[in-house]
Amino acid sequence: MNERALATLENCRYCLMCRHVDPLGLITRRETLTPHGIALVAVSEQRGLIDWNEEMIGVLYSEVDAGVAQANCVTDQPFSEAVALVRAELVASRLAPAAAYELEERFRRHASPFGEAPVETAKGQAETALFVGDEAHHLWPASVGAACTLLGALGESPVPISRGRSSGFLASSLGLIETARTQAKATLEELDATGAGRLVVLSPGDHFTLSQLYTGRLGLDWPAGVEIVDLATLLADGLRAGRLAFTPALEDGAYAYVDPTHAARTPERFEAPRSLLRSLMPTEPVELFWHRQRAHPVGSTALQFTHPELADALTRARLEDARSRGAEVLFCEDPGSLAQLCRHAAAHNLAVRGLYETLATHLKP
Amino acid sequence: MNLGVQHDMLRSELEEIVGASHISTQESDRLVYATDWFWLPQMWLDRGERPRTPDFIVHPGSASEVSEVLKIANSYRIPVVPWGGGSGSQGGALPLFGGIVLDTKRLDRIVDIDEISLTVTAQAGINGSQLEWALNERGLTLPHYPASANCATLGGYLAPRGSGTVSTKYGKAEDLVLSMEVVLPTGEVIRTPGVPQHAAGPDFFRLFLGSEGTLGVITEATMQVDYLPETRLFRALLFDDLSRALEAGRLLMTRRLEPTVIRIYDPRSTASRVKTILGHEYEGAYMVLGFDGDADIATLQERKALEICTRLGAEDLGREPGESWWEHRYDFYYPPQNLKLPWMYGTTETVSTYDRIERIYYAEKGAVESEYAAWNVDFIGHFSHWFHWGAMLYSRFIIRNPPEDAREAIRLHNRVWNTAMTAVLENGGMINEHHGIGLKLSRFMRRQYGAAWPMLEAIKRALDPNGIMNPGKVGFGPGTGVER
Ligand SMILES: Cc1cc2nc3c(=O)[nH]c(=O)nc-3n(C[C@H](O)[C@H](O)[C@H](O)COP(=O)(O)OP(=O)(O)OC[C@H]3O[C@@H](n4cnc5c(N)ncnc54)[C@H](O)[C@@H]3O)c2cc1C
Repeated sequence: MNERALATLENCRYCLMCRHVDPLGLITRRETLTPHGIALVAVSEQRGLIDWNEEMIGVLYSEVDAGVAQANCVTDQPFSEAVALVRAELVASRLAPAAAYELEERFRRHASPFGEAPVETAKGQAETALFVGDEAHHLWPASVGAACTLLGALGESPVPISRGRSSGFLASSLGLIETARTQAKATLEELDATGAGRLVVLSPGDHFTLSQLYTGRLGLDWPAGVEIVDLATLLADGLRAGRLAFTPALEDGAYAYVDPTHAARTPERFEAPRSLLRSLMPTEPVELFWHRQRAHPVGSTALQFTHPELADALTRARLEDARSRGAEVLFCEDPGSLAQLCRHAAAHNLAVRGLYETLATHLKP
Repeated sequence: MNLGVQHDMLRSELEEIVGASHISTQESDRLVYATDWFWLPQMWLDRGERPRTPDFIVHPGSASEVSEVLKIANSYRIPVVPWGGGSGSQGGALPLFGGIVLDTKRLDRIVDIDEISLTVTAQAGINGSQLEWALNERGLTLPHYPASANCATLGGYLAPRGSGTVSTKYGKAEDLVLSMEVVLPTGEVIRTPGVPQHAAGPDFFRLFLGSEGTLGVITEATMQVDYLPETRLFRALLFDDLSRALEAGRLLMTRRLEPTVIRIYDPRSTASRVKTILGHEYEGAYMVLGFDGDADIATLQERKALEICTRLGAEDLGREPGESWWEHRYDFYYPPQNLKLPWMYGTTETVSTYDRIERIYYAEKGAVESEYAAWNVDFIGHFSHWFHWGAMLYSRFIIRNPPEDAREAIRLHNRVWNTAMTAVLENGGMINEHHGIGLKLSRFMRRQYGAAWPMLEAIKRALDPNGIMNPGKVGFGPGTGVER
């Protein structure tokens, strides 16, 4: 086993200290699906106590890769990174779950599991590029137009890049490291062609992927002089500086903000979407029990392909959390999370709204 | 256990109670539920040895489901081991004889928060930190802060009689509980009286505190809570002499200054743990003092405490090192700072009255250090849970190069424990203050209780005639139906 991965997994195998925030432990109550359990299974294989059979590989692939464990780990153990490295070894040994290889094929053919239309590469140059990716492009396209409108209000005309191409996160999470690198390199080439010095991202997941995963998990160099900017933070700054203003949204009922998948990985932006919402709504947002640092992902990670029932359960848990806090309307900005929430929202009597679209329609001229 | 055809019979009956998705016989689950936080099974796995695994992991969702599971277990004479967070360090949750591990984590509901009487009623499988967050939202706290709050459950706080960081002011978990719902081994669901202090006959309620799953399953508890304190004050002091530090602690307690925290590290811990984890380099006995509550009262208490300590020769190190201890108090238990394999280690903690506690410390330290000098044993200790009448010694032994052979390692481990517990018992200490007995200390129970032990055994037989509940723990041997 990769030495770095092993060192982390050895540290995590008997540490139970992120149990209180562990998403899968909470929805399944199975110790086995917590970082402690997953790490114990992995290091037990090293000790000859188990084989990588379908069940054990299923356990390893149940890790959510949303950063909640690391964000709440006192000693910052890179648990998801370790698991991704082991998955890469399983992929190389042709031992990964069938879903991983199916996805590899889809990535090769369509650059995304979410649609089959060819990737629309960027045309033209600009100071600012907007990373679209495949979730926004295929699952929640309204967010892209809204983002352009909002950026326009700040005087920016961004060039959208990677329209329809996965960022590489999903592939890397499944252990398809080479596929992930190919996707990442394509993104970087497209970015380079735009000549942009600024890349705006729509979600914490894209922020994490481009700012940390490319250089860390994928070992790529980030282009010098290109700054990654989170759209919600940019808008919140614009709002504070008086460069943006919104007319009140006339939503009835209590509303909540859902910290999207990967939110725990970008703690610096917890406040931005909340402040944007406050500027739109007449009342304070309801805070979910699972918020900010402890926010659980919805099922928008690789789990939706390897363990769809767990992915759905994660999404339903967020919706139940919202219902139990009295919320009726949910806001989120992450296209992948929005798509997941929407699939189940009606069953929980909840309405789901894209934050960027709502902001864009209430932009004060 | 070798259950043969009974296995599938039993499984289908259990499925009828909890539902098929709440019962597992998967190899991965059986492996993970084969070890709690006891060094011994962890070492066993670490050396590539296959531990005894449970046959079934069952997740009941209500007290009545627990009751039905226990009735079935009785009819098949199958062991049942309650499991909360599996964070116990004594092997209390180990399925020594296979059978059913009854994971309580689906029992995680907060039933009621009473803001008048300041109580919370919650199901026993609720996670400690999650319960605390819910209370904090209302400005309340359950002042039981074990270092394991992130992983332990409410039932796991009570079953082994745990102590948290602020127990010196607020009491142990057992002092915070008003009443409990318990499922008896034979399946009856009982509720103890609504208040713990009364004169309506004997206090049978206390029997379940410390029973560690051998007398039933705690399914719900009503706990006393407090308002979140207006202020928390910390500071650190340094004594060049452990005796004087202990005397200071005694005076603070007997003069009822109500410290939240008195933690005195012995010189060895000061030089090692305090240095590596907190980054403070001192020689002597490092003391952390904490006071909380209304700012004016806490300030006055702290001032009086400082007077006592400085009169006894303490150097006041100021607030920062005390505050950084509070901030980093759990780092001691996280990788990479925690004690970890392949080392051998054990927490031989004890409690006794003030007239004995220092003697116990030196007796235990002397015995362990001299008998295991060849193993370069490290003996460290701190005094952290204080009472009006005495204090708790959290002593630990660490052997960094234990035998590689797992069986040899167990022999050495048990010999060190014999030495430590003999020193404790001979000097009037209790074999444990808050981690409980589990498997680890089971063999010392008879010595601890002497003539009183048969009475406890008789109670166990009366409540659990088939010996299904957590066999091999707390001094109770395996029951009649248990395969050895
Ligand atoms: C890092 C770390 C730090 C720790 N620090 C502390 C500390 O500061 N203070 C402290 O007191 N302890 C501490 N412990 C020990 C342990 O975590 C506590 O004893 C904890 O309260 C156990 O809770 P649990 O839910 O994990 O119980 P488990 O380990 O699951 O069970 C412990 C015992 O209780 C029984 N049990 C569990 N739930 C029930 C129930 N509902 N009904 C009946 N029996 C039950 C089990 O059968 C077992 O015998 C620490 C442990 C760790 C890993």
